[in-house]
Amino acid sequence: MTAGRPRQPLFKSLRRSSLVLRLVLLAGVWSIAMLVLAGFGLNHLFRQASVQRFEAGLEESIRGLQAETTVDNGQVYAPPMTDVRAYRPYSGFYWQIAEVDAKGAVKSLVKSRSIWDSKLTLPDGIGAAATRTPGTSVYFDTTDPLGKRLHAAAQVSSIPGRDQPVLFVAAENRESIDEAANRFITIIVGALVVLGAGLILAVYLQVRIGLAPLFGLRREVALVRRGKAERLVGDYPAELSPLAGELNALVAHNQDVVERQRTHVGNLAHALKTPLAVMLTEARSTPGELADIVERQAEAMRAHVEHHLRRARAAARSQSTGERTDVGEVLDELTVTMERIFQEKGATIDWRSPDDLCFRGERQDLQELVGNILENAGIWCKRNIRATALPSGADWLTLSIEDDGPGLPAERREEVIKRGARLDESAPGSGLGLAIVDELARAYGGDLTLGDSALGGLMVKVTLPRVEA
Amino acid sequence: MRILLVEDDPDLSRQLKLALGDAGYAVDHAPDGEEGHFLGETEPYDAVILDLGLPKMDGVSVLEKWRRENVATPVLILTARDNWSQKVAGFDAGADDYLTKPFHTEELLARLRALVRRSAGHASPQLSCGGLRLDPRAARASVNGEPLRLTSLEYRLLHYMMMHQGRVISRTELVEHLYDQDFDRDSNTIEVFIGRVRKKIGQDRIETVRGLGYRIMALEGESDA
Repeated sequence: MTAGRPRQPLFKSLRRSSLVLRLVLLAGVWSIAMLVLAGFGLNHLFRQASVQRFEAGLEESIRGLQAETTVDNGQVYAPPMTDVRAYRPYSGFYWQIAEVDAKGAVKSLVKSRSIWDSKLTLPDGIGAAATRTPGTSVYFDTTDPLGKRLHAAAQVSSIPGRDQPVLFVAAENRESIDEAANRFITIIVGALVVLGAGLILAVYLQVRIGLAPLFGLRREVALVRRGKAERLVGDYPAELSPLAGELNALVAHNQDVVERQRTHVGNLAHALKTPLAVMLTEARSTPGELADIVERQAEAMRAHVEHHLRRARAAARSQSTGERTDVGEVLDELTVTMERIFQEKGATIDWRSPDDLCFRGERQDLQELVGNILENAGIWCKRNIRATALPSGADWLTLSIEDDGPGLPAERREEVIKRGARLDESAPGSGLGLAIVDELARAYGGDLTLGDSALGGLMVKVTLPRVEA
Repeated sequence: MRILLVEDDPDLSRQLKLALGDAGYAVDHAPDGEEGHFLGETEPYDAVILDLGLPKMDGVSVLEKWRRENVATPVLILTARDNWSQKVAGFDAGADDYLTKPFHTEELLARLRALVRRSAGHASPQLSCGGLRLDPRAARASVNGEPLRLTSLEYRLLHYMMMHQGRVISRTELVEHLYDQDFDRDSNTIEVFIGRVRKKIGQDRIETVRGLGYRIMALEGESDA
């Protein structure tokens, strides 16, 4: 438990960190390991190959010696070498012909001029080793008198005119191998680093592009949540489309729940209002003390029902997401309805709204809002009502509804909104209209203001959130 | 005056029958949608009081069915559902007025009187232009039998154009006939209304004659019958 503790944050942070980082890290670690391994492998192979080539050269020198070495009267004579390095002192190329006794000790017979007065130091046991494999070279490392590192070959073979076989040794400065190997390493490391960086970049790009639909999905979900889209419409790859489908189903379910809430609420209203209507009518038709009480209580019940229905609708509203409503459509259908309701008066509603103006919220709520304002205007107007919807900045819209009625004195406007009081009993209507509008507008973060209209009556102005079409 | 009352609540029905009888109406009562529909279709009533929440067939369906069968009897909807969306649905189905429960009997009677008076207006001939039809008496229009939902300004515009079909009508002329007083004499207004009317009746029924105005016409291949 305690031992596992310090590891946990790292593991967790990797788990929680971005998918891109995880994928790039995993792919990066893996490919860097492979590249390092490849680097070692290549280096090894290259070294092996250059050592073999070097040894082939040594072998060649030994053959040259063997071919030309002569024996005269027991004395071994070495051939003249074409390689000038055999004559230049300490040139880095040396040869030696020696004899090996039974114990394996080596005694030099002839050596190249390049060794000068010194001798080629052979490691112990080389004589014995070479004797065991006559005709085959034994390779070893040694140093020349200047201390330079040499690579050498030793081979035991017999030469005509001499009973005892002799040991041929050829040695050469191995710096050339090491230099080549070092050059190779430098190039390889450089190339592998570039390759590694390229791979990681490719992996990063692949992951970014591969995960692009995921980012697209996130953007779309955000749009739905902010009410800028109703559902996900993107074309997603096979792995994501079920998720997108589920999200859409979730959004649809959400809307369903809201709808069901509304239906329940409506059913409750219907169930309660008919008995209330009966009670009220009955009470009015038989005047008396009991009738008064019944009527007052029934009116109170009706007020409670209205109040709680609105609360329930508001609760349902806060659950809904991604709704958008075309303002023009709602103005149009309510205009037709309202003109029919106030047909007697010949009320005319002139509505204007830009084609693509959308309210961010539920259709029923906008209908309720506009319906109540228009009804109020219809009650008070002489003939003309004007409704104008305009965008107000990127996120809001204003809706002004004016009439040519008597208007409302400034000092009484507050009252109408706050109390929802019925100001004039002489005109029909519940009197709650503008209070409901105010409540709805606030629920959406907007507001309601009352002013004077150029038409002569009241101007009701509502600010509401809008969605870019 | 003969009235059909379609209402399922027995107490409310009894009260209303009583009140309507006192006011001098002859009342037939149907307790469900099917019976209500049958009576409204077969008997000549002067007005119908229709509840929306009815057993067997809901009020809106009954109303839509009547209107499809050309039953033009004025209908007053009586319902507990006071959402504007439901009121709009009611008027779209062909209702002439709407009253929400609970209500005062006096108000119901007043509305009923207004309804009967309004529908008694004298008939005038229908205007037609291809599949487009306009009934000035009921202030209703339809395209190929489908009722149109027109605002009064749109209706006025269409009415004027149909009275002068075949002639090019200038914007100024349309503005003058659209508003009763000097209201908003901006000729762009006309474009807005022409656009909306076109959306509702079909793009090609109103032709724009560049520089002159607009002309309403039947679609190609449509007879004026």
